[in-house]
Amino acid sequence: MSFDEKFDVIVIGGGHAGCEAASAAARMGVQAALVTLNLDLIGQMSCNPAIGGIAKGHLVREIDALGGIMGRVIDRTGIQFRLLNRSRGPAVQSPRAQADRSLYRTEMRRALEATPNLHLRQGMVIDLIVKDKKIRGVELQDSRRLRSDAVIIATGTFLNGLIHTGKRTYTAGRAGEPASIELAQSLKGLGFNVGRLKTGTPPRLDGRTIDWDSFEPQLPDETPVPFSFSTDRIEQDQITCYIGYTNHAIHQAIRNNLHESPLYSGKIKGIGPRYCPSIEDKVVKFADKNRHQLFLEPEGHHTHEVYLNGFSTSLPSGLQQELVNMIPGLEEACIIRPGYAIEYDYIDPRELNPYLETAKIKGLFHAGQINGTTGYEEAGCQGLLAGINAALSVSGRSGFRLRREESYIGVLVDDLITQGVDEPYRIFTSRAEFRLALRHDNADERLENYGRSLGLIGDCDWERFNSKRDRISRLKYALENTRLKLSDAQFHSLSFLFGSSLTPITLSQLALRPNISSDFIFDLLPSNIRTEINLIELESALADLLYKGYIDSLRNNLHRVYQHDSLKIPSDFNFRSVSGLSHEMVERFERANPRTFGEARRIPGLTSASLSTLLVFLNSQQA
Amino acid sequence: MHSTDTIVALSTPPGRSGIGVIRLSGKGALDITRSLVRDEDFNPEPNHVTLKKIRDPENDEAIDQSLITYFKAPHSFTGEDVIELSCHGSPVLLRQIVDLILRLDARAADPGEFTLRALANGRMNLSQAEAVRDLINAQTHAAARQAVRQLGGELSSRLQPIKDSLLEIIVRLESSLEFVEDDLPSIETSHISSKISNIADYVMNLAATFRAGRLLREGIKVTLVGRPNVGKSSVFNGLLSSDRAIVTDIPGTTRDSLSELISLEGVPVLLTDTAGIRSSDDKVESLGVERTRRAMADADLVIVVLDSSEPFNAEDNEALDSVADNLHLIAHNKSDLLFFENNNISEIAHGARAIINVSAKTGAGLDALREAILEPFAISDIYDPGVLITNARHFDLLQRTHNELITSNEVLDEGRSEELILVGLHNALRFLGEITGETTTEDILSQIFSTFCIGK
Repeated sequence: MSFDEKFDVIVIGGGHAGCEAASAAARMGVQAALVTLNLDLIGQMSCNPAIGGIAKGHLVREIDALGGIMGRVIDRTGIQFRLLNRSRGPAVQSPRAQADRSLYRTEMRRALEATPNLHLRQGMVIDLIVKDKKIRGVELQDSRRLRSDAVIIATGTFLNGLIHTGKRTYTAGRAGEPASIELAQSLKGLGFNVGRLKTGTPPRLDGRTIDWDSFEPQLPDETPVPFSFSTDRIEQDQITCYIGYTNHAIHQAIRNNLHESPLYSGKIKGIGPRYCPSIEDKVVKFADKNRHQLFLEPEGHHTHEVYLNGFSTSLPSGLQQELVNMIPGLEEACIIRPGYAIEYDYIDPRELNPYLETAKIKGLFHAGQINGTTGYEEAGCQGLLAGINAALSVSGRSGFRLRREESYIGVLVDDLITQGVDEPYRIFTSRAEFRLALRHDNADERLENYGRSLGLIGDCDWERFNSKRDRISRLKYALENTRLKLSDAQFHSLSFLFGSSLTPITLSQLALRPNISSDFIFDLLPSNIRTEINLIELESALADLLYKGYIDSLRNNLHRVYQHDSLKIPSDFNFRSVSGLSHEMVERFERANPRTFGEARRIPGLTSASLSTLLVFLNSQQA
Repeated sequence: MHSTDTIVALSTPPGRSGIGVIRLSGKGALDITRSLVRDEDFNPEPNHVTLKKIRDPENDEAIDQSLITYFKAPHSFTGEDVIELSCHGSPVLLRQIVDLILRLDARAADPGEFTLRALANGRMNLSQAEAVRDLINAQTHAAARQAVRQLGGELSSRLQPIKDSLLEIIVRLESSLEFVEDDLPSIETSHISSKISNIADYVMNLAATFRAGRLLREGIKVTLVGRPNVGKSSVFNGLLSSDRAIVTDIPGTTRDSLSELISLEGVPVLLTDTAGIRSSDDKVESLGVERTRRAMADADLVIVVLDSSEPFNAEDNEALDSVADNLHLIAHNKSDLLFFENNNISEIAHGARAIINVSAKTGAGLDALREAILEPFAISDIYDPGVLITNARHFDLLQRTHNELITSNEVLDEGRSEELILVGLHNALRFLGEITGETTTEDILSQIFSTFCIGK
């Protein structure tokens, strides 16, 4: 078979997974091609023009610490930064930023084009070329053939995409873009287990037709917290978003028109995300709620387009216009782009290994929505991991994986490959057993040395990271060893906090008391420390102090549960050979095909006796 | 691989036996033993057997005499420090000691956990492990069947509403963390705090039924002893309120041990009448005496019957000596007759839990005796939530649940953020889950999405 071009790694799709994948592979020194339907839409935000949020923001900071690009791009293009959960503990705070949609695309394309070894190619992949259960390359619609030993599929909602508005349906990958029909068939032909999911998007409005005064303003943070550890300052002008509400009349009108909804007429078969319900769903499932919150999010500095967040719908476009005009303040508003629902194929992620490589075909990787996830951040981190592992694989190096207890990325991948999905998967902090240890501000401490050894962290960033680490360790020493004494003037002013016990205490002991702010501690630091650190670094050090006891006892508690997790289960392991396992348990094990005891432990529906039995058997095999 | 905690389990089969062996493994094994024998300097030589009294650290009361063997790490079954306590075989006694150990910072072992530790520390080879594996299978299957039969799902169904209200609190706190931008109802701290207290109280009350639950399931074994013709059989019949045993004035009529199950305030009591303790040439009778000694070793409580109308003699002393290590009380029989005045009962009755004057003939004092039988087992003050905890592991888990809930409330009262309050609540949910079945993150998320309208 003849090929037109040859690459080390081919990435199919230029969305958030594809961009990270291609960028990582290329920067690790292999020749990487990014094949996409439309080069002008690289890094397109198909839905909400925003990055981050609780747990999602954590993912972006982890991507950044590993050397990915999403954090840097949003820092340059974000137009409203807010750190969420400011009033709560540091582990559950997370950055979120509204992006200038078009600027984000431009910046992402610029970042890719500036990367050596990265080759952009426009075209539609219609077939995978596979020989002896190994990937050999891809075939494009225009009959070009590209040769490669590693292919990453990151096609988002494009696989067999089907758009619904009212009773009308048409094939599309996104509004106005063709779906990938042949590639979906090719994957089915290879024997992959394909399912169907659904997602939706709200209408976009012309900002000039909105009565802004009818809405509550939502202001950006005064001092934006960037996503990337390499960003010193956010340069973009920050904008205000607005909050409004639906009302009873709108709910009634929606209920009266449910027969027009493809969701409720049974046309849509795919399962949608529960945490991103359409307005139809909200009105039906929470009928007693008399209003639902809406956000008006401007899409950029140079457009009037406004995203009507909270009003995702697949009702007919004409009806959407009528409903929008019933919202107080939107009486005159014009819809520029109607909302719609889209159904698409995904492939059971339980067929992947922890490196996101398929078990069926060597060298074939899946990343992003094809694995049943939703969200740019979820996609981005999978793309990064797949890109890293594709590059490692073609260089003959062993794979890179992350553990649950060290990263949200580890949690996400582990959940996907062991549990599979039955609705679009989104990350939450409650999915992480060690959420107190997985803070957004310590992602660099957790992951940056991995990024460095993979070759994704440059000298400049590495030096910055090390000098920060040194500063924080000096700071911690000062916190432990600076004692406040009775004679200190400041201590006197604090006496109300201590009642009669006036024994000297260290700054770290003081910081652990409730209602002591970090500013307060900052002012008490020795002057040499105060001049070299900033408040964010102090907060990071204090968070370590605050959570230390909890994390230690959590580790003890969970040690018993997790201590055997790394025990390997051979790929040809025969569960039927384990005497004492019931048929049902054997079937559950076989279906999930766990590679380690940790994966086996998380298979739903297992009895603890069956796990004990497996554990003893595995131990005795390896003894 | 390092196991951080110390585990304990009864390693002889459940039920009555001559001796029962309790095994401890882990770093704290020796320290816990020191607390048990109330001797901080107790430094047993490894692999040697030492005889020691086990005492309740709270009141210093002797519970049992035990042969203690210390196996020093790594030269033990598990490769960790191991202590084996060979105690008397009464299930009630053994549970009492295990209970005590659980209060001393050990944890009830999971099925097969000793074996797993042994494997983890390389103390076992393949064929040994295979054999033990089969044993674990057998044990866990049997345990599962037993649990189903004994509890009839009762405990789980009692715990379900508790687990549900705990889950409700978790769902509210988790939602407020995860969905900060959604329009959720606000949380009232005092409301959450009192809900947590209620759950903690319920769990504590349930745990408190453990002692009673154990007694209800296993009963108390009470043995009557005394020299011939003091009226053991009459007391036995009096407690039975029927003429079960043969009563004559001829010494040694009761040549066999007679056992009868009676119910005292709902607690099953296995009452055993024995042949009198005395040396005899009569073959049949000496066989009976041997049985007496066995019944005594096996008893939770021994009643020494003395005749108040006759002078105490050497045989009475012998009977009292033979029960010195047993939990025992004295029934001072024939109170209807004239007391023999020179008897000074307090002189010979050292260590008796109680001395009760009874007349088996008139029935006087029998109610006091019944009360005295139950008194050492403290079952009068049990709270009754409709189900009793009978399994030591369940007891342990409920206590842990309670502690976690209390900690969470303290954190809440300090005004800390939700993610810290949730640590204890999740732990509590996990411990309850070890009894009723696990609640997964997915379950929690489902509950969130069905409770609140979430999502932009």
